[in-house]
Amino acid sequence: MNDLAIPDFGREIAALLPFLIVAGGGLLVMVTDALVKTLRKDHLSYLVLLVLLSVIVVQTTSGTPEGPVLNGLLLLGNFSRFFTYLFVVIGVLTTIFATGIFDRDGNYRPEFYPLLLFAILGMMVLAAANDLLTVYLGLETMSLATYVLAGGVRGNAPSSEAGFKYLMLGGFSSAFFLMGVAFVYGACGGTGFDQIAAALHSGSAPMPFLTLGTGLMLVGFGFKVAMVPFHMWTPDVYDGAPAYVTGFMATAIKAAGFAILLRFVLLTEPMLAFAWYPVLTVLAVLTMSLGNIVALVQGNIKRMLAWSSIAHAGYLLLGIVAILAPALGGPEMMARAKGIVEEGGAALLFYLVGYALMNLAAFGIINVMGTEPGVDGDQISRYAGLSRRQPVAAATLAVAMLSLAGIPPMVGFMAKFYIFSVVVKAGLIPLAIIGVINSLISVYYYLRVIVVMYMHDTAEDSYQGTEWVSVAAAGLLAFLIIYLGVMPEAFHRGAEIVFRQISF
Amino acid sequence: MNVGLPHFLTVGAILFALGLFAVMSRRNAIGILMGVELMLNASNINFVAFSRYVEHAVDGQIMAAFVIVLAAAEAAVALAIVLAMYRNFGTANADVVQSLKR
Repeated sequence: MNDLAIPDFGREIAALLPFLIVAGGGLLVMVTDALVKTLRKDHLSYLVLLVLLSVIVVQTTSGTPEGPVLNGLLLLGNFSRFFTYLFVVIGVLTTIFATGIFDRDGNYRPEFYPLLLFAILGMMVLAAANDLLTVYLGLETMSLATYVLAGGVRGNAPSSEAGFKYLMLGGFSSAFFLMGVAFVYGACGGTGFDQIAAALHSGSAPMPFLTLGTGLMLVGFGFKVAMVPFHMWTPDVYDGAPAYVTGFMATAIKAAGFAILLRFVLLTEPMLAFAWYPVLTVLAVLTMSLGNIVALVQGNIKRMLAWSSIAHAGYLLLGIVAILAPALGGPEMMARAKGIVEEGGAALLFYLVGYALMNLAAFGIINVMGTEPGVDGDQISRYAGLSRRQPVAAATLAVAMLSLAGIPPMVGFMAKFYIFSVVVKAGLIPLAIIGVINSLISVYYYLRVIVVMYMHDTAEDSYQGTEWVSVAAAGLLAFLIIYLGVMPEAFHRGAEIVFRQISF
Repeated sequence: MNVGLPHFLTVGAILFALGLFAVMSRRNAIGILMGVELMLNASNINFVAFSRYVEHAVDGQIMAAFVIVLAAAEAAVALAIVLAMYRNFGTANADVVQSLKR
């Protein structure tokens, strides 16, 4: 940010077009809702889908320029593009799920649409960030929109409680994060990732400031990705928020959080690998184990998936640990280092996509089955006999659960396989064993849902309503889960190419 | 006395600790919010101090300006959510609002 060059405006605007479309689209949807009185409420959703699809079209066709833009504030390329696709697809599915429920209940939340777009904008900025300033801006844009998404159901007490808890702990953690940014800035003499990398490679950054700052920033990252011990909010917020928002939070926010955590760990690796490695190893083991053990006793499917999402954050952390391992190993490790780092990165990206598919499929069905957030509509017992009442919904949820449990031939199995095989290649066999044991524990609580759906008799109070568009969209996701599970190779190779670009 | 970087960092640390204490000890939602604002302003002091004594440039000051704007946005969203919670629960005390623990 120090030597300001006169930018080439044509190139900058072409490069920023996806961001501008999402930001402008959000404003457009907001203004349309306020000014056009003759509009039927569900027409807003078509506008949102149009905005999101045009992002995909622009990004695929225009061959957007690569490299840093806005004087190095953002770094565009395969990595940011990959995450933009992921966020947009999650956004499209969330819009479909939400609109289906609004239609069915006749209870519209027009403010949902612009907030969704703004949250996606924040995530896109986060995945493309190349400066601590843009990291913070992206993080806050994403969070402020999601606080309201989670807490904005009018007259619903659980939803407002979820929004309140998310806001308080989110604001608290971002204050820690910001203090960390201040110390890293003080240590490196600049906020740009290039300046930080230069300061770290030359070894001129003072260690106390650097470790303190990075530690405080880890609190902020840990909160966003629901890492133990910063996970306390997860079950309550996932439970109280409406299911379509929960699905969005569980997939998109986790992906955005891991995107920036991965970039930051790789950035600070030259001087801090020795500190990241033990800390992240311990946190990964704690996160997996606690998530899986507490999920065993949950009777509410949203709370169960909240703890399961904590456990999955642990598996993802294992991938980061594997990437860090070569930097600390002996000479024979250094020879293999590049291979391990690349495979680890590809495994992480693959896992994030697979996790998004299976969680969205699950929350799509839960969304249809539930009535109102917090009302006892999400008890697993209410799914009894679903296979006979709604075979498609039950089959979709079953596929999602099997995939989350990591049973072949679903994508969840391949995702875990890639992560664990990188962990083994990095020589961390005990960690891989802990991961596999955790994965075995998790089979119990995922399969319980399937047992209830297929083997129990329909209970008296089970809910009869449905919503076909959502079930069809979730069914499509279930198909993708199996497809990517059977034929993961091409996609996995693509993820490796995407990752290669962000190595410093 | 020569005022230097350590003095500013000390003020920042004290302010941060006070904010942290407020967040931990307050029951009222507005009190918690005020604690968070204190913590944000503590980092602002650090940003400006580092920009004066370490970087000799304006990155830190730009950052502080952005933080002020975002803190205002966060306060607006936070007050709206606290108001919604007050309507539903009849209280703004964080320890009373515990309907989701089952």
